[in-house]
Amino acid sequence: MSIQPLRSALQASSFNNASVILPAFLVPSVFHVQSSSFSTTSHLEGRRDANRNRGVSALRRTGLRKRQTLSVKVEDLPKPVLDPAQRSKIEVDENHALWQFFSRDKQPFYAVEQLSAPGRPWTVEELRRKDWEDLHRLWWVCVKERNRLATEAYERERVNAGYGEYEYLKRVVAIKRTQRAIKHTLTERWYGWEEARKVAQNDPEVNLNAIADGGAAYTPSRKSKRNKDEKPEAVTAPDPALVEAAVAEDLRTHVPLPPDQPSIENRARA
Amino acid sequence: MALVTKAPFRVGQKEIHLPNFTLTLLRMANQPPTSATFLVPLSLNKLDLRDYLYHAYNLRVLSVRSYIIQSKVAPTRPKSQARNWNRPQAQKRMTVEMERPFVWPDTPDDLEPWNHETREKTRAAQEEFQKTASRDADTRPDAGERKSLREQAKELLEGKERWKPVVGGSRGGRRR
Repeated sequence: MSIQPLRSALQASSFNNASVILPAFLVPSVFHVQSSSFSTTSHLEGRRDANRNRGVSALRRTGLRKRQTLSVKVEDLPKPVLDPAQRSKIEVDENHALWQFFSRDKQPFYAVEQLSAPGRPWTVEELRRKDWEDLHRLWWVCVKERNRLATEAYERERVNAGYGEYEYLKRVVAIKRTQRAIKHTLTERWYGWEEARKVAQNDPEVNLNAIADGGAAYTPSRKSKRNKDEKPEAVTAPDPALVEAAVAEDLRTHVPLPPDQPSIENRARA
Repeated sequence: MALVTKAPFRVGQKEIHLPNFTLTLLRMANQPPTSATFLVPLSLNKLDLRDYLYHAYNLRVLSVRSYIIQSKVAPTRPKSQARNWNRPQAQKRMTVEMERPFVWPDTPDDLEPWNHETREKTRAAQEEFQKTASRDADTRPDAGERKSLREQAKELLEGKERWKPVVGGSRGGRRR
């Protein structure tokens, strides 16, 4: 039974303002105050490994040979520079690949004005005119831009810099819409190809196994050629009544133009 | 654009043309400059990352390490009485070793372009308001109101102000 718990009991009793009645065999402990630490183990900082042969294995023949000396002494080994301010500055290559994760001015996060700069997503109408190579390239531009935005958004929130999260989310939505439009275009093309393939299976003019057979893929028959006697359909002039009705409908739905510009009525009559 | 050169490692046969995930580069304080750490999707593996960085960013990596940080079980709505506990998805990080070092640009000292001060003040004001509107608001006395009452009482006793009946209730009524 050590002395410490008894002392804390005495302290507790002084707080409660009550006297403690000690048993007779414990009375000398009040007069003999503890002067040194109970434990005889030395302090951790001064400890070293007492076993100098630790890690040395006879079976695996590790460790130094008898009277072998090393070229480097322990005190000559290089010491790490713990203070970051005193470390040497590292030259970063201007064209390092990781700069692609940052904005052009090589700052950790975009300024808010840059994020909210106007830029709408691509529409499906615009992407229908693009070939696979362009669409693929555009997809990867979107992916790399999202990587860049994610990098700087994470850093901005970690540092608690300020506003920018809202603009970042808007921009991500715009990029995702572009990506969705790309996939939409590709899906449309695939469905068109699939439908054509199904029709071609039943078409006698088309040979789907041309590559394997070594024959022609498309052999047009005589019936599909236009007759020389037939005249092409003539384009007739539009019915004036229909034109009037269309103009009236246009006027009803369109926003009226300012007075200095020619109105639709005048243009229709011209 | 740089020429497409043969990769210095074995490339897989499955070609993925339209990947739909995001990589986040992280700033790591105690790692050497020749290493870079990314936040990656949970389903990505080391071979995928090596391939991705080579073909998309033209970055050759010498080695890749990965580790997953498990999330703590957290309530879905912390401030509500009805709590659903769930474990959010784990986070996967990958550290790559590069040939040439890369050091992150320093954080700007002046955070005014991002309205740092305004945002902090707005947050503090919102928190204060939420305390007054919370269910246990009546357990917290309004120190400002007490002080103002003390001052008003002092003025009345000293004769600086005369008592006037308040119209419209005890809170924010009109004085006749």
